[in-house]
Amino acid sequence: MTAIVALWASIILNGLAQVLLKKGVGHSNDSQSTSAQWWMSLLTNGWVLSWGISFVVATALWLIALSKLDISYAFPLLSTSFIFVAIISRVFLKEVISWPRWASILVITLGVILIAEK
Amino acid sequence: MITRAPIDPGSAAGMLQAAQPASAAISRFQWCDVAILGSVLLAACGHLMIKAGLNAAISTAAHVLLLERLLIYFRQPLVLLGLGIYGLGTVMWVFAVSKHDISYIFPITALNYVLVTLGGMFLFAEVIPAKRWLGIFVVIVGVTMMQSAGRKSKR
Repeated sequence: MTAIVALWASIILNGLAQVLLKKGVGHSNDSQSTSAQWWMSLLTNGWVLSWGISFVVATALWLIALSKLDISYAFPLLSTSFIFVAIISRVFLKEVISWPRWASILVITLGVILIAEK
Repeated sequence: MITRAPIDPGSAAGMLQAAQPASAAISRFQWCDVAILGSVLLAACGHLMIKAGLNAAISTAAHVLLLERLLIYFRQPLVLLGLGIYGLGTVMWVFAVSKHDISYIFPITALNYVLVTLGGMFLFAEVIPAKRWLGIFVVIVGVTMMQSAGRKSKR
């Protein structure tokens, strides 16, 4: 029971973390992403830091879950965060998600649910 | 499937670069895709290594409090090594995220599930039922669809 709760908390936090990261890094051009300055600026970026914190907490929860569950069972369930990420990125980051992209996201999620089911 | 077509086909600049053999332009775009693939591979290796470490620790940690259990887990060499590899994958991931929509790039990490499921089978003798094989196939179809759906992003 504890393992299942930890697993889902980890999954939701993991999805939210990705959107926080994207909010922090934005769209870099090549001169930015190859400069040390840009990378250093990420270390003091609040969005990136909140991603880091979410990531650490999600990882700790993941370890708790994984100690009790088969990795080939627990890992696929993370796929549900694809849908969370799509919705949150659309609302929060105003990402334009074309219908082929929605379709791909749903197919991928379906595939991972199939993997997840015993 | 990830390493090919390193150029944004939706932009005029992408089309120009597709016609150019200039190595600078090509390598610049390929790095994003190497980063996606690299972060997926490293994350899968990291997860499998963490699981191997946890398998080693689980008998000693079975009857202690949660916090103590976490400390035992974090002292396992394989868990630490796995986390280190995962960390390297994360740096690649940050780079890749800054180049693409998160709603485009994040679902591609589903390839992790395929790799880790296969790893679970080969390394830990975990049984993969037919349904799970079907899921692996569907994920691969979905990731391929995502590639052809395009990476065009709002800037």
